Amino acid sequence: MSRDSQREDCLHVVKDCRSQIEHWNKVEKDYESLQERLRTLPDKLSYDIMVPFGPLAFMPGKLVHTNELTVLLGDNWFAKCSAKQADTLVEHRKKHVKNALDDLQKVMKNFQNRADFTDDLKKLTGDTEGFLDIREEVINEEDFTKGKHRLAHKPNSKPKQEYLLELEEDKEKKEEDEERKTGLLSEEELWARLDELEREEELQDERFRLDSTDTNGEDTTSSSEEEKEAESGSGVQVNGHQKENGWVPSSITSQMNGTNGSHPEDEEVEDCDEEAGNGLPTIYFSHTAEFKKVRINTGKNTTLKFSERNEQKAQAKRKKKSGKRNGHSHEGYKITSPADIYRVFVDLVNGEPIPRKSILKSRSRENSVCSDTSESSTADFEERRAAFGRSWSHDDATHSDTSDGFTGEESPTGTSPRTNGRFEAFTGTVIEKDPLSCSIPHLTIAPPALPTIPERKLEEVGPEALQEPPKRMSKFKATRLHQT
Amino acid sequence: MAEAIHKKLQSELEKYQQLQKDVSKSMSLRQKLEAQLTENNIVKEELALLDCQNTVYKLIGPVLVKQDLDEAKATVSKRLEYINGEIQRYETLLKEMERKSEQHREVLSSLQQEYQRAQGQAVGKV
Repeated sequence: MSRDSQREDCLHVVKDCRSQIEHWNKVEKDYESLQERLRTLPDKLSYDIMVPFGPLAFMPGKLVHTNELTVLLGDNWFAKCSAKQADTLVEHRKKHVKNALDDLQKVMKNFQNRADFTDDLKKLTGDTEGFLDIREEVINEEDFTKGKHRLAHKPNSKPKQEYLLELEEDKEKKEEDEERKTGLLSEEELWARLDELEREEELQDERFRLDSTDTNGEDTTSSSEEEKEAESGSGVQVNGHQKENGWVPSSITSQMNGTNGSHPEDEEVEDCDEEAGNGLPTIYFSHTAEFKKVRINTGKNTTLKFSERNEQKAQAKRKKKSGKRNGHSHEGYKITSPADIYRVFVDLVNGEPIPRKSILKSRSRENSVCSDTSESSTADFEERRAAFGRSWSHDDATHSDTSDGFTGEESPTGTSPRTNGRFEAFTGTVIEKDPLSCSIPHLTIAPPALPTIPERKLEEVGPEALQEPPKRMSKFKATRLHQT
Repeated sequence: MAEAIHKKLQSELEKYQQLQKDVSKSMSLRQKLEAQLTENNIVKEELALLDCQNTVYKLIGPVLVKQDLDEAKATVSKRLEYINGEIQRYETLLKEMERKSEQHREVLSSLQQEYQRAQGQAVGKV
């Protein structure tokens, strides 16, 4: 690799520099000892010394004229001078040596830095510690968009397709190449993944606020199972990492890989076990197929689609009947994202899914419909309203297209669900409906924290729903009309 | 046909190698000149440090010949100029040789291609 050769070159230079520095250091030392000698030499007029005769013999002799020195100036030039003048010359030479040393040091440092840089670069790309390889095995050809791409205003221009294309290409690659090493994902993939993770984080934060730790997580994950069975989704498997149970991204369901044995493998989920070749802990990532887009009705413009609602609710009902009951929505449907809430909590009126009306009265939410958060009687209505109103701090018109944090908690029939809700995003009115069955926890029992973002499928629900809110809201409407 | 090309290739290769040798020789000479340059600079500076009382000698063969300090200074300066001139000369020479070697390299590569083609044809024919 060129990087390696580069690095080797740098190191080679560094080595050379080091040896040269050593050499110059020796020279400097020699000069210093010479200076010492020069200082002491003129102390005596003559010295008794052993004079070397050839390589093996010495002879006693005398050193005379101790202040007269013949100094080599360089290039076959000599000069006769005193010891002190010689001292000056030596100082001058030492200056040169020091300059050379400084230059060499600088060069060495530069090349050392370069070598280190290439080292770091290598480490960055090859190191396995602290890095997670995130892989996404895309299964479904169709389900890679969360929704329709936005159509451009101009009639002839197409909505953005780049992301789609990228996914398709990568999907093919991934599906073919299961043995892929821990190469870096392409940039776009990474960005896409980053976006998803950000969204998940936000949802996670919301969930944290509303969740009640473990049970909730289990429920959500187990209900996600159901969801997945219903849909052609796939789950995220965390390979070797313990993810928090409560964290369920909006469009991605998470599963523990092997650590949590309660989740049977879905058929949709690819069997992405650890690849032995991977040095990296790997997160296998997959998307759930989104439901048809559920939009929150904040007024007159939103629509709602309940495409798979029936199926889900049937499943949920079945599950509920089968028995164990949590206060959660795991009975047959999995709430994995706020959007699920609106899909889930609908009334079944004559077999048609009708979104529940919000129980709060809100001027900003005229004609807004949301899932009912409880099946209790109207006697509790005021209570509920109060509770919702209290916690209805932050949820405002932004509900229109967003799904708020959803706890996934479902109030048990007996208890008052409202008290749990800290963040009820509820601004519409709630139409009290007869619970389908009092003994059976109702599907439409919404958790107290159920956002009041109304759901409505205008095409199907249409007139019925429309009629009721107006009745309820007539007062407000009246007042509003009076005001305006 | 292939044989002829092969021979041409060989001769070109030899010429190129010769050129490379010349280049490296010039390079080393130039480096020596550089060293002399620095040395003479130091001598010049040290001569400046001395006064006229000190006698200056020049080593010519085995003999140390007495020199005048000013004379010595002049001589050293002249030598310095000479060395600088030499270095310039060698610079131009090196550049020239570099260019020539580049040309030779191109010729060599084209010849090589021809040769390979000829080889291929010969194989094909056979």
